[in-house]
Amino acid sequence: MKRLTMGNEAVALGALKAGMTFFAAYPITPASEIMHILAEKEGEIEFVHAEDEIASIHLVIGASLAGSKALTSTSGPGMSLKQEGIGLAHMMEAPLVVVNVMRVGPSTGMPTLPAQGDILQAKHGSHGDYSPLVFYPCSVAECYRYTMEAFNAAEESRSPVILLLDGFLAHLSETVDLSKIKVEPKLRTFKPLGHGNRHFTGLLEKGGIPRTKDTAYYREWYQRITDKMQKTANNYRFFEYLENKTADTLLIAFGITARVIRPLKHRYSLFCPIRLFPVLEEELKAAAAEHERIVVVEMSDGQYQGEVERVLKRDVLSVPILGGGISLKEIEEKLHAL
Amino acid sequence: MRYKNYIKWSRMPTTWCPGCAIGIVFKQLTFTLEDIQMPKSEMSVVSGIGCSGRAAGYFDLDSVHSTHGRALPIAEGIKRANYKLNVIVFSGDGDLVGIGGNHLLHVARRDVNLTVICINNETYGMTGGQMAPTTKKGTKTLTSTHGSAYFPMNIQQIVTSTPKHFYARSSAFRISHLQKCIKEAIAWEGFAFVDVISYCIENFGRRMGFKSPFEMLDKIKQDYRINYKPEGLLGDFELGILKNDDQKS
Ligand SMILES: Cc1ncc(C[n+]2csc(CCOP(=O)(O)OP(=O)(O)O)c2C)c(N)n1
Repeated sequence: MKRLTMGNEAVALGALKAGMTFFAAYPITPASEIMHILAEKEGEIEFVHAEDEIASIHLVIGASLAGSKALTSTSGPGMSLKQEGIGLAHMMEAPLVVVNVMRVGPSTGMPTLPAQGDILQAKHGSHGDYSPLVFYPCSVAECYRYTMEAFNAAEESRSPVILLLDGFLAHLSETVDLSKIKVEPKLRTFKPLGHGNRHFTGLLEKGGIPRTKDTAYYREWYQRITDKMQKTANNYRFFEYLENKTADTLLIAFGITARVIRPLKHRYSLFCPIRLFPVLEEELKAAAAEHERIVVVEMSDGQYQGEVERVLKRDVLSVPILGGGISLKEIEEKLHAL
Repeated sequence: MRYKNYIKWSRMPTTWCPGCAIGIVFKQLTFTLEDIQMPKSEMSVVSGIGCSGRAAGYFDLDSVHSTHGRALPIAEGIKRANYKLNVIVFSGDGDLVGIGGNHLLHVARRDVNLTVICINNETYGMTGGQMAPTTKKGTKTLTSTHGSAYFPMNIQQIVTSTPKHFYARSSAFRISHLQKCIKEAIAWEGFAFVDVISYCIENFGRRMGFKSPFEMLDKIKQDYRINYKPEGLLGDFELGILKNDDQKS
């Protein structure tokens, strides 16, 4: 059945459909609707309005280890607080999903205008080296679909998967028939707590025994984890590519920005990555090969442009749309001025 | 099951300094588990970070060693996801009351059915002996070189501030009392906090002039008395159990 649905609502519904049974969060605009909708499911799922975002992330880690599919949602300030916990979930290999509905920062910034400034935080926010899976849908239907995919990727990679939204997309309402979108939920691949003598720790460990002074083992472990993430990522190659044979310029954009620039498809080729990290290297290289100029249009000061440049090893131009306001007219002007 | 079966012998020796109080409390917990015949598959131990926080890894059962201060929310997540598991939190005072203090307020308020064993050694042992929120006024530490200017946190009053509560104070010296407290805490349907007066010789006691762990233990023996029938709150140097299952007010 077709129904007017908001981005945040689609995330909540997608999580329920994916089999999520544990939710913990702390209120923050523009992510709160996810929490409000799931509060109504208290009883069917475990729902915790936690004391802060640090508690929320650790609550979902505990729940994950105890066997639940778990979700937490937040926005910039809360995402900053969750970072240590995200690193812990990587280290413990605890599958879970973290939604970050981006607003203008740093700090309290411009509550609650939309932004895309937490792209590199999603990749590097916690200390140390790790390679997270990060998805970013660009429509309400996709919010639903990629929430389910995020849960699947979390199970498959045994890691915390980050689902980015922007304040615009989260509050965007579209008429969609979610019942037509089907994603087969993946099952848990390890036993919940209470089934052995395993030791889950944030320390580097092997077989439950800390190996905190073993450089060689760290390198071996790091390779295994990185390979695992890349292998999982290969099963989640999500993007949309609208090729324009007559265009010499490729525009790369995601989330609400990808929606805004869509009318430009008659003049440019458009590439919308949905899996932001690990970067869709092959796909981007193939698309870029056909074009003279590559431009990333984003609501940050070139965060993803730097990533794309690194992968393509050639000049990539940046069109930053800062301060929470976005219009096609401004983007067109900036493209002309390049 | 024998107490020895709760211990992961492949992890021995522990990281704890010779004579450390944590080992005493750890062992009393395993004795209590033997006493109540707790099946290993029906429990989990969660720790934060610190010397005390290493305890989780020494149990021969599924255990979790979290980040500094976050043992309580991790334990709450586990408990809410599986109500059948007995979840025991074993951690330090810096972890539970310092950096994790906000969680203590709220997990107690939500009355999550957990058993918390807090090694209260009045210092941050692992990081070298800094001032903890539990350090007594006037005590010199690495971060209170002229003597702590503050009164210590009153854990008893925090934990008993909710109408329904369980707070026990015991010590590393009174081991049968300690076992009794742990046993009652595990049996308690709700949030149960066992504040264990402990000591740290190497990073704290020596600086204060103690020559051996025995001297510190003896000081605890001299200072603290058990009050079997407390009326109202426990005195500063009293050990005992305060519990109330009033659900109403
Ligand atoms: C976020 C964070 N801050 C600081 C530390 C460093 N640190 C490790 S243990 C510890 C103090 C532990 O004290 P306590 O909880 O009292 O345990 P004890 O070592 O005395 O048993 C600190 C500050 C850390 N690991 N993580």
